[in-house]
Amino acid sequence: MSAARADLARPGVAAAAGVAGTPRSFRKVLVANRGEIAVRVCRTLQAMSLPSVAVFSDADRGAPHVRAAVEAVRIGPAAPADSYLNIAAILEAARATGADAIHPGYGFLSQSAPFVRACGEAGVTFIGPSAEAMERLGDKESSRRAAVRCGVPVIPGAEDVPDAARARAEAARIGFPVLLKAAGGGGGRGMRRVDSADALPDAFESARREAMASFGNGRIFVEKLIHPARHVEIQILGDGKDAIALGERECSLQRRYQKVIEESPSTAVTAAVRGAMERAAVALARDAGYAGAATVEFLLGPDGSFYFLEVNTRLQVEHPVTEMRFGLDLVRAQIEIAAGGRLPQPSAPRGHAIEARLNAEDPYHGYLPQSGTILLLDWPKGEGIRVDAGIAAGQTIQTHYDSLLAKIVAHGATREEARARLRTALAGLALLGVRTNQRFLLELLADDAFASGGTYTHTLESRSWPAPEGIPDEALVAAGILLFMPREAVAGERDDADRFSPWLSLGAWGRPGAAAGAAARGSAS
Amino acid sequence: MSRPLALRHEAASIDAALTLRGRSVVLDRDGRRFEATFAREGSWIDVRSGDRTERCAVARSGRGVWVALAGTTWFFEIEHREAGSRGASIAADEIRAPMTGRVVAVAAVPGAETREGDLLLTIEAMKMEFKLTAPENGSVLEVMCAPGDRVELGQLLVRLKPDSDGGAT
Repeated sequence: MSAARADLARPGVAAAAGVAGTPRSFRKVLVANRGEIAVRVCRTLQAMSLPSVAVFSDADRGAPHVRAAVEAVRIGPAAPADSYLNIAAILEAARATGADAIHPGYGFLSQSAPFVRACGEAGVTFIGPSAEAMERLGDKESSRRAAVRCGVPVIPGAEDVPDAARARAEAARIGFPVLLKAAGGGGGRGMRRVDSADALPDAFESARREAMASFGNGRIFVEKLIHPARHVEIQILGDGKDAIALGERECSLQRRYQKVIEESPSTAVTAAVRGAMERAAVALARDAGYAGAATVEFLLGPDGSFYFLEVNTRLQVEHPVTEMRFGLDLVRAQIEIAAGGRLPQPSAPRGHAIEARLNAEDPYHGYLPQSGTILLLDWPKGEGIRVDAGIAAGQTIQTHYDSLLAKIVAHGATREEARARLRTALAGLALLGVRTNQRFLLELLADDAFASGGTYTHTLESRSWPAPEGIPDEALVAAGILLFMPREAVAGERDDADRFSPWLSLGAWGRPGAAAGAAARGSAS
Repeated sequence: MSRPLALRHEAASIDAALTLRGRSVVLDRDGRRFEATFAREGSWIDVRSGDRTERCAVARSGRGVWVALAGTTWFFEIEHREAGSRGASIAADEIRAPMTGRVVAVAAVPGAETREGDLLLTIEAMKMEFKLTAPENGSVLEVMCAPGDRVELGQLLVRLKPDSDGGAT
């Protein structure tokens, strides 16, 4: 397994070793994001002794990501369009603080070519690909053409279908079921599964409306639906000339195309499939002259055939599972590449890593987004556990932004060990004041489908996941004690808020075996 | 002394009573009896029954109590049952905001006597007004908000001194 990967990685490393000169360093880096990813990027900046600048909207005053940075600048009202998507305000914050580089995180402006160009015009380095490479790989149609050019298998389909009648003809040619997708899209918006010709016209119009509303681009393409399929993606790093691959992540447990649990390696990927996927991903990065971190997503069919889906030209939410296996800090690699440095030389991957996304949502009541004030927060600690969080006790969670609160990641020598550690960690996590999907994550991890590795992109949505019933006596006893002896509890809550420090809970990465080190430090504090 | 635990979890009313004596606790629930000992450290309560110990995290919010145990979290709403019923007025001394909103009027005056049902203050949120009333007879100890204040869900607004100190048995 690792031999195939190493063979693939070695040419990239050799080429990178030829990068001339000492990489320049940045003076100061602005993090154009919020929440857990902004906290996590600041953590690496601190480790690299690089001064950091946070930006925040009115809704995020005093938020953990603001406290994680050395400096912080208000960029506007709560609405994303006025703040975290406000290019002028972010560039003004960079100018005012003297930041000469911007890390975009994920989401928001991370895949905006106009933002990359605006950074260039302002004389600020965008930590990520060039606008041209971003457009070539970030746009679904253009990346699909690149895949065809590079000999990467793509799902049979048709691009830029003008109307429902044409979509119907193409679907008949490809064979039902088909998937309608927005050309400019992501996150599942503008996507529709269509099982028959009769259902096509309505689905086409609704996908087009959604695409137009979400992305300002109503172009649609139609493609064959692979079923049952797994979502498998390859992490890559490029330096503009060459690229290396860092194994796969399986993210099949999704709901409405939002990933819930991710792991590496995939139980379904053989050494041969991994090698072929990695070669495909590296070929795409080289073809585009890609510099920075990217993820190439594939659908893996039941027969081991795989198909190119799309490229995310940025850091992914689930990047920690790769970091924990490879003992590598991907944010650091992004920064070094942007500064003209070399591609890292990763060690061979070790063990198994699984990530669970803790969201402020109620999975037992229609996944409604939840808000409220965090009254108590206690993160799990333990061997192989990493917590990337953007929340603190006392913080009020609002619904302006996405519902991700934290990522709980477990590493173990085997999949079973990682799964057991993650279950123990999630069972030990206490967050009071806002409903989350914590119990649901535990149910998923305990489920036979996950335990056996039989996870597919439809697994989560094809079944119902009833709320656990019954309230243990102990829970009622605890409620009663708090109600009848309230004074002590008030003091206790205050202690918990004071004790919170985002740094103590973040865990560590960047070295092989870092996970165990993080756990040791966490419990020592 | 057994005290009724008048709580609601989502749509279901919980009918139980709790007896606390030192570190011992007895829960009577649906005709069953659960006996345990407990140890408390701030927001953490260890409940031990036989050789089983469960560690619970607890926090009070305006309308009720949050409890987390082994990865599951419950919010128990305090049920203010009909007048004359035996289950009224748990933690009646703290009036907290039932939602995030704005205080539009304050009727409570520190030191004043209040009777059950007396208006204490009015909060507005999403163009709806909520009137907070005294859960039982007593007096106003402290008023911690003023008209126009923006208040968060669970924020302490008024402290009362009930005439009978929690003795709804």
